[in-house]
Amino acid sequence: MVAEGALAAGCRFFAGYPITPASEIYEVMMRELVAQGGLALSAPDEISSLCYCVGASLRGLKAMTATSGPGWALMIETVQYALMTETPVVIALVQRLGPSTGGATQGAQGDIFLAEFSTSGGYTIPVFAPSNAAECYELTQQAFNWSERLRSPVVLLTDKEVGMTTEVVDDAALAKLSPVERSWADAKAPFAAYDIERAEEVPGFAPVGGGVKVTVTGSAHDRRGRLRKVSPEVVEMLIHLQRKIDAHAAEMALARPDLDPDASCLLVSYGITARAAREAVGVLRKEGFPISFLQIQTLFPVPAEALHWATAGVRTVFVAEENLTGQYRTVLAPLLAGKRLLGINKVGSMISPDEIIRAIRRAGGTIPRGDWPAEHGPDEMGRPIRKAGM
Amino acid sequence: MGNPTYLASDAKLPYCRGCGHALVVRQLSHALEGLNLPPRSLVLTTDIGCVGLADSLFPYLHTVHTTHGRSTAMAIGMALAEAVLPAAALKPVVMIGDGGAMIGLLHLAHAAQLNVDITVLVHNNFLFGMTGGQHSAFTPLDWITSTTPGGNFIPPLDLLKLLRTAHAGFLARQFATDSNLGGVIADAIAYPGFSLVEILETCTGYGTLRNKATGTPLREAASRQGYLIGRMEEEQQRPTFGALYHQEMQSPPAAKAAPQAIELSVRSDLGNPLHIVIAGTAGERVQSSAALLCRAALSVGLYSTQKNDNPVTQGSGFSLSEICLSPQPIEYTGMESVDVVIGVSQEGWNELQANGTLAKITPKTLVLLDAELEITPPTGRVLRHHFRREATPKRAALAAIAFWLGMEPAVPNAAWDAVLASLPVARREDVSTALRVGSNLASQGGVCAA
Repeated sequence: MVAEGALAAGCRFFAGYPITPASEIYEVMMRELVAQGGLALSAPDEISSLCYCVGASLRGLKAMTATSGPGWALMIETVQYALMTETPVVIALVQRLGPSTGGATQGAQGDIFLAEFSTSGGYTIPVFAPSNAAECYELTQQAFNWSERLRSPVVLLTDKEVGMTTEVVDDAALAKLSPVERSWADAKAPFAAYDIERAEEVPGFAPVGGGVKVTVTGSAHDRRGRLRKVSPEVVEMLIHLQRKIDAHAAEMALARPDLDPDASCLLVSYGITARAAREAVGVLRKEGFPISFLQIQTLFPVPAEALHWATAGVRTVFVAEENLTGQYRTVLAPLLAGKRLLGINKVGSMISPDEIIRAIRRAGGTIPRGDWPAEHGPDEMGRPIRKAGM
Repeated sequence: MGNPTYLASDAKLPYCRGCGHALVVRQLSHALEGLNLPPRSLVLTTDIGCVGLADSLFPYLHTVHTTHGRSTAMAIGMALAEAVLPAAALKPVVMIGDGGAMIGLLHLAHAAQLNVDITVLVHNNFLFGMTGGQHSAFTPLDWITSTTPGGNFIPPLDLLKLLRTAHAGFLARQFATDSNLGGVIADAIAYPGFSLVEILETCTGYGTLRNKATGTPLREAASRQGYLIGRMEEEQQRPTFGALYHQEMQSPPAAKAAPQAIELSVRSDLGNPLHIVIAGTAGERVQSSAALLCRAALSVGLYSTQKNDNPVTQGSGFSLSEICLSPQPIEYTGMESVDVVIGVSQEGWNELQANGTLAKITPKTLVLLDAELEITPPTGRVLRHHFRREATPKRAALAAIAFWLGMEPAVPNAAWDAVLASLPVARREDVSTALRVGSNLASQGGVCAA
């Protein structure tokens, strides 16, 4: 469904390299994209895959590649190049168990940090995280639309359990978004590649090979794209790269809240674990425990507003994710000052609804509000005091 | 109308005195003037190193300055885009050094193999100039550099020979001081397909510090390495990638058919989710039989998930499918306990033991085993039959599924009609035979309970 979403979004170029569990996307694009008159081809490694995509995007084509953790590691150089040169490109990162080659056919949600914090300078790379096939379709379109609109690399972060599980999808219920095209610059001369008035503006795009001369560099540059040593103008350009993302953070931040006004605790999850979390919430509510749930679909920029509303009146926040150290919980921690923040973590296999329920019960999360035992104070370190299934 | 200018007439070349790069940019400019190409039909794609300083010297050309070694790869992407852009005509000219050729060697090989229409100018001054004169994969034997203080003892690469084996069409090697260099560059750019000119030159900053790297000694060094000077004879001109792609697109692969609405004339009365595991041997249609079950379930209004597992080799060893059928959309795709286990081979069963599935068998679990297997499940309602013998090993999994459904009709029989109708005619007979054998066995009874 990632491939279907890419086609619906107007993807015209794909370069791929085989890797479990992302090969299905590669295979479908090799067949379907070509059938639609686009170009899909095999690159000799992941470095080449993303370079080819960036080259094609510089010429104006919507482009995508798909990989897993080991391939993403090779692509980081070019992700940064796309960021610096403001070249739209989408990378579907289908997580598997790490580190290193880890487990090719085992799912994981261990690449949150690797996907987001992989740039010198720590710029925000938008990351969307679908939890099922239908969301793969919708969020891939979102990834393309935001990539084009912001002229930025965007990551679609899924995992083996989402990517390689065949499931029934209701075609009629699929979200079909209007494809967004990058805003093209006026063909005026002299053209400045990064001609913006305000730092948060996205400059108009002119393709390499078009009528106006385009200057592109991955090095620090001025408004005309010319390589320059640090100067006030260069610094402005560097700040602009972050500001343009920040300016759209609220609009980009997708989350699915399922809140209970009487809840004293909130369960946060994303990707494959959100499905187990949803089931767990259903069971707890049936048993009469009020609990709120927030599924995060845009991991970055963090949906701060949705989180704010979801945590109103809540004492404890649980973050369930399939990694050992609570990567996304660490990201959320600064936004949850004063809350008791606990992780439900596991590696090696999916977290089950039962494990989530047990973890919440053990931590006293189902005790009615205002009736907390004294020993359950907030964990300021943000570390899990209990782990499920470990 | 005169020819367009390429190198800015007032360009102040930013290179050290005597550096070969200055000669190359002048010769490139001459070549472009001779070809009289519209400036906007060219993109200079430059690498990291002194070679990357060329961008600013050509004010009318598109320029793309890349990360180290990747200029060839980015140029490949730009050239590939040509194939799908209407009325496009852009020629990437890649400028890399010997360092860029080394770190980006795979990109050069793939560009040659694809025969994309790009021209690569390799500025080979035998070392890394910008970073202080470290040796590269192209440093001649015995050369002293900052990283080969005792003299280089690793033989240098011959890029032309390497790329010839990657099917490169146009390959040439010249000295930067050659008066015909501009002509060779022009021929390379005019060549339809991948072309590369390796230009042997002098780094006056570091190359000449401790080596004889100019004039006759440079020529002798090249000769000692067996370097061909001039154009390497072409074997046979090949069509470019773009030409092959357009040829391919004369009869493109058929697009996937649009989804068809599924008529739910019969609905399953399944009340709760069911978890089914099918275990067998690779090549015996375990996973495809499981997919047919999911399709049948879909046609009677059920939701399903299917996960497959097999050894990395895929073609040997076990083959497993784990299925969930549910009247509701499925959230969690794992299982705490299993409702039906079908074991049709020893290899498959062994894997169920290894991956922990057997621990999920409860007294309520229906365990269907091929009667040839000498297996004692930990618990469950165990039934054995000769699925392999009666239906053939390749039909055993599907026959066992039909057997189960004959006993416990979670998916009504009518569902299979829709599945059969959706299959290619050639496959229907096979599938319906397997289904018939399974349901006959179920209706005959004759099952030996363990």
